[in-house]
Amino acid sequence: MNNCLSQIYFENMPKTKIILILFLSFINATSFASDIDKLVFPKAEILNKYTARIPFKLIDHLIVVEANVLNKKGNFIIDTGSQNLILNKVHFPSQYGHNKKRVETTGVLNSLDNPLQKKLSEFNLLHFSLKDKNSDIIDLSHIEKSKKMHLLGIIGYSILKDYEIFIDLYLNQITLTKVDKNGNKLDPKVYLEKIVDSIDFKLKKHTIVVNGSINSQNLKLGLDTAAEFNQINKSVNKKVLKHFVPKKRINLAGASNKQIEVLAGNLHRLKLSKTVYLGPMKTILTNLSKMQEAFGVQLDGILGYEFFKYKRTIINYQKEKLYFINYPLITQ
Amino acid sequence: MNKTVAHIIILFLVFITTTTFAQKSKVKGYRIEGDEIVFSFDKRDYKKVTNNNFGAEKDFEDIDINSVVVAGEFNNWSLKKWRMIKISENSYELRKKIEDFTDEFSWEFKFVINNYYWAEPSRDVVNISRATKNGKKLNVYNLNFTTAYVDENGNATFKLKGFKNAHNVILSGTFNKWNEDYFNMVPTDDGWELTLQLKPGEYEYKFIVDGKWMEDPSNNLKKRNEFDGYNSVIKIYKWVTFHLKTNLNAKKVILSGSFNDWDENKYRMIKTENGWEYTLKLFGGKYHYKFIVDDYWMVDPDNPVKEFDYDGNINSVCIVK
Repeated sequence: MNNCLSQIYFENMPKTKIILILFLSFINATSFASDIDKLVFPKAEILNKYTARIPFKLIDHLIVVEANVLNKKGNFIIDTGSQNLILNKVHFPSQYGHNKKRVETTGVLNSLDNPLQKKLSEFNLLHFSLKDKNSDIIDLSHIEKSKKMHLLGIIGYSILKDYEIFIDLYLNQITLTKVDKNGNKLDPKVYLEKIVDSIDFKLKKHTIVVNGSINSQNLKLGLDTAAEFNQINKSVNKKVLKHFVPKKRINLAGASNKQIEVLAGNLHRLKLSKTVYLGPMKTILTNLSKMQEAFGVQLDGILGYEFFKYKRTIINYQKEKLYFINYPLITQ
Repeated sequence: MNKTVAHIIILFLVFITTTTFAQKSKVKGYRIEGDEIVFSFDKRDYKKVTNNNFGAEKDFEDIDINSVVVAGEFNNWSLKKWRMIKISENSYELRKKIEDFTDEFSWEFKFVINNYYWAEPSRDVVNISRATKNGKKLNVYNLNFTTAYVDENGNATFKLKGFKNAHNVILSGTFNKWNEDYFNMVPTDDGWELTLQLKPGEYEYKFIVDGKWMEDPSNNLKKRNEFDGYNSVIKIYKWVTFHLKTNLNAKKVILSGSFNDWDENKYRMIKTENGWEYTLKLFGGKYHYKFIVDDYWMVDPDNPVKEFDYDGNINSVCIVK
């Protein structure tokens, strides 16, 4: 922004002034960049330099966190189904150009009144630097309208992949903990609850693909935190669809903001391993072949909100493993 | 009597009767019982019916009721599927699990008589909203329900003083996705009021007075919104009881946690037959806590949910939602 200003003055000014303005704009850009290149979660509990717990709220079935970025405050959807960080064009016109600028971040935050944010400056290793991340600027106003929310963007794989991620629909929080290139956690003290089971997955481009089976038919299923509904492809084997019990037709607004009518029902007897199986999950029957491009892989179905509702799940991208923690039986 | 005085008295009487009448207006068409939603239809509540083919209104009394069906967004407005059960001469009911509705975006519905006529709700009913078709507003109303619902005995009362001359005041907020029709406030002696039943948590809201949005002037709790203005904020609490079933021989047990800034004296637990307990009100959210049993700190042995704190200590965790 400062650069734009200096260019406007450029033509009609004496040389000394131009130099001065250029110099000022350089300073401004540098200090500005140190701030804007970060994604800060004001409500997060920053436990140490490796681990943070971020509370989320559910808007319908979307997992939404509060974050500050590029001097704006608002909501982000956590979406393992999305490849990059997406910024909402409505709030980030492309002249922001933060992803073009190559300025070293200093890790120094302006002094802030918020104690949680002050805490963050002590643990600046955990800040999410955007400067090496790909980000897309896309108009997301249709989601804003349908969900009546102030949506700054979508946090996808490119941000999440450096962390082990615990998506906990019991405590309504996401735990992010830094891992090395082999997926080993750098913080030894992260979880206290027992990991009761695990399964392997394959990372196909950015998509988590798990192998499952229904009625002894193998299925490739994508795991997508931002899928409000589980989905099963119309063209799967009929043996699978025997265990899909339709209940009703519902209208959905798709990504393109078009209304489509789909068949909703319960999908029974999904097994992900000998020990990991799921009870009836609300699922919609759709045509997924068109989604191949978005996910980068041909899928038989998508596991979304409903899956996370049943399984408190930890995702480790490097180890290509999902770990599960039980829901507690008692509540105070 | 002077004519003007008579007029004033009559006007005054009219005003009183309409006010009291409006106060009587209630939620119609459903009630919540535990984890069930009970759709309820009482034929005495309805005076008019319409049908789909742009048919004129018809008086309810002219129709012999053979069947009553609930039709709504949840069953694609089917005129046949959700048939209600007759429970008395005038009333019909249908019970559904609330959780069956969580995958819907909104929940408008209406009752269908003889698989043909739409029973038109009275305009005085609180939970009505203008019906739409293909984005256009129709001249009829639907009933509706949300997980936040109007309930005289609910846990959140919203009041707006003054604005006696306003025609209508709507309560709109994050509890109903900023819907501009659902929650009609009811006129009272000194303004407007509406009581909702809300789940514990933090909500943002505003009033819409004759189409104009405004903050709650009596509430200092506000949050900046994306339009460079403010939304009012309400926090809903819930009573939560903490139990410790062990250590019956202890002299004293203190409940300490993030909810009271880890105070070591304030919440002294009460000894019962089954152990120790303490009840307090908490807002929605996550809390860390521990018991101090005769000056010895311990986590809750019956709660598997635990987390590290900033210093690496282990705490029990409870979530209020």
